[in-house]
Amino acid sequence: MVVHIDPDATLPFWRGAQVFRFASVAYAIGAQIVSVRAQAPPGSGIPAYSHPVISWALIALLVIWSGVSGLVYAFELAPRPPTVVIELVITVLLTVSTVWVVRPEYYHHHQSLPSTFWITNAVVSVALLWGPAAGGAAGVGFSLLSLGIEEQFHNLVTDATTPILLTVGVTMGVGARIVSRAQQELSTAVRMQAATKERERLAREVHDGTLQVLALMRRRGADLGGAAGELGRLAGEQEQALRTLISEQATVPGVDDSTDLRTQLQAVIPAGVNFSGPAGAVHLPGSVVTELAAVVRTILDNVARHAGPDAQAFVLLEDLGGEVVLTVRDDGVGIPDGRLAEAEAQGRMGVSKSIRGRMADLGGEAVLETGPDLGTEWELRVPRAGKAG
Amino acid sequence: MSAAESTTVMVVDDHPMWRDGVSRDLEAAGFTVVATADSVAAATTRAKATTPQVVLMDMHLPDGNGAEATARVLEAAPGANVLILSASSERDDVLQAVKAGACGYLVKSASAAELIEAVNATAAGQAVFTPGLAGLVLGEYRRMATEPTPAGAEPAPTLTPRELEVLRLVAKGLSAKQIGRRLDVSHRTVENHVQATLRKLQLSNRIELTRYAIENELG
Repeated sequence: MVVHIDPDATLPFWRGAQVFRFASVAYAIGAQIVSVRAQAPPGSGIPAYSHPVISWALIALLVIWSGVSGLVYAFELAPRPPTVVIELVITVLLTVSTVWVVRPEYYHHHQSLPSTFWITNAVVSVALLWGPAAGGAAGVGFSLLSLGIEEQFHNLVTDATTPILLTVGVTMGVGARIVSRAQQELSTAVRMQAATKERERLAREVHDGTLQVLALMRRRGADLGGAAGELGRLAGEQEQALRTLISEQATVPGVDDSTDLRTQLQAVIPAGVNFSGPAGAVHLPGSVVTELAAVVRTILDNVARHAGPDAQAFVLLEDLGGEVVLTVRDDGVGIPDGRLAEAEAQGRMGVSKSIRGRMADLGGEAVLETGPDLGTEWELRVPRAGKAG
Repeated sequence: MSAAESTTVMVVDDHPMWRDGVSRDLEAAGFTVVATADSVAAATTRAKATTPQVVLMDMHLPDGNGAEATARVLEAAPGANVLILSASSERDDVLQAVKAGACGYLVKSASAAELIEAVNATAAGQAVFTPGLAGLVLGEYRRMATEPTPAGAEPAPTLTPRELEVLRLVAKGLSAKQIGRRLDVSHRTVENHVQATLRKLQLSNRIELTRYAIENELG
């Protein structure tokens, strides 16, 4: 079973962010075209830019860097952390360069140039990579830098830059974190489910093949006696050991903690016992499955001890939708009428009480029918949570 | 063993050791093993050539499963009775094979005596209804009852209360005679009830397959 889960859950965020980057580059170019012709103060004939040529070079750097970083982020061409660090440095330099290329008369009343709101990209990258706290800090940092350069600190409260960049940093960070965590949980769940499936498959395989052969050897060996009988006895011991082993293996719960009672029962029921059940899986919570299998095992042990050497045991599993019914029956000597005291002395009634108690703990019930030469028949009923009634 | 002597059997299994062992047991009991096969293809051609009365069918074959093999063998030799001989947990496969027309199911760990008894019963056209098979059929009826019927389809077959009662007792391991005593009817009546549950299931499967074929041709 091959499960493909993209380890990078935040990739769609990174890709989306590059669309925004593209739009912000277009805006930065537009702002440059407008600003580079502007006069400060308006109508004074004095150009707003002190170094227009350098400002074009800086815009070129902004465009090239945007292209490079956009491709790197969207297609994972290079590790993200160093790229984000370079992006931070370039964004800070471009923002600070305002002081150099534009005259104070202009930028004091306008945004930082040439970076404009393109600086938001750096905040988004930091948030996606390092989470909401780092994203928020980057947002506040850039907003303070920007306002500092524009000498607009007195407008900190009325200016929208700080709340917007802070919000962008925190929300993008939270979003990326949530998606990453969900992805991790999903991949753990899928791995667990695959492992459980594989265990169940192995248990089935061992049950169908090896256990059948060992059971056959034990029976044939017993018929033949002598050295073959000894081999048969050894095969029987291994059968029992293997059966116990796979029953322990099969109890690993699935994603929603529900396991297949049928598989579990087939693993714990000894070879001589006849098992009947539906073709499909009978899912119940893992703890209920484990307990039911243990109760069935207890009853079967009891049958082996008390029902007589020729007794045969049968287990029937029925899924009625709202409840699951297990019948464990033997055709042995049964419990004769008026012999309950003796039965109690033999420890059988103690076992009965324990079985009833365990079934009651599961919210179900256990009914025993018995009589002389009628064998014993336990009917165990467990309601399905949510479907009961 | 006069009944056995006239009975022809084909053994289908891909394990040579198992195939030979079963064939030997059958020959020793007086049956005539007319063919053995280790694949669906071989089983189909040999069933056509030898028309065995009973086919002992394994569920694991290299070129398909026992359900396919059962369907194809019954097509090639319609008079044959197929008895599934399977390891115990290939349950869905067993159910499919029974729906495809197999009339019995025996686990591989059954003793030689049980096997011979089952082959005799199968040759006589009786269903070899082990508790395991009863459990499967019971489960299948319950599954069909909970599934919504597609529009225009035949309603899923259902069991009468008496059939349900009988099937549950068989699944719990009671013999026809024991059930007859419990319900105060003859063991023949019990066997008839049991066979009816199987026939209804096979019939509904045939109707289903035909409907599927027609729909696919029209579509």
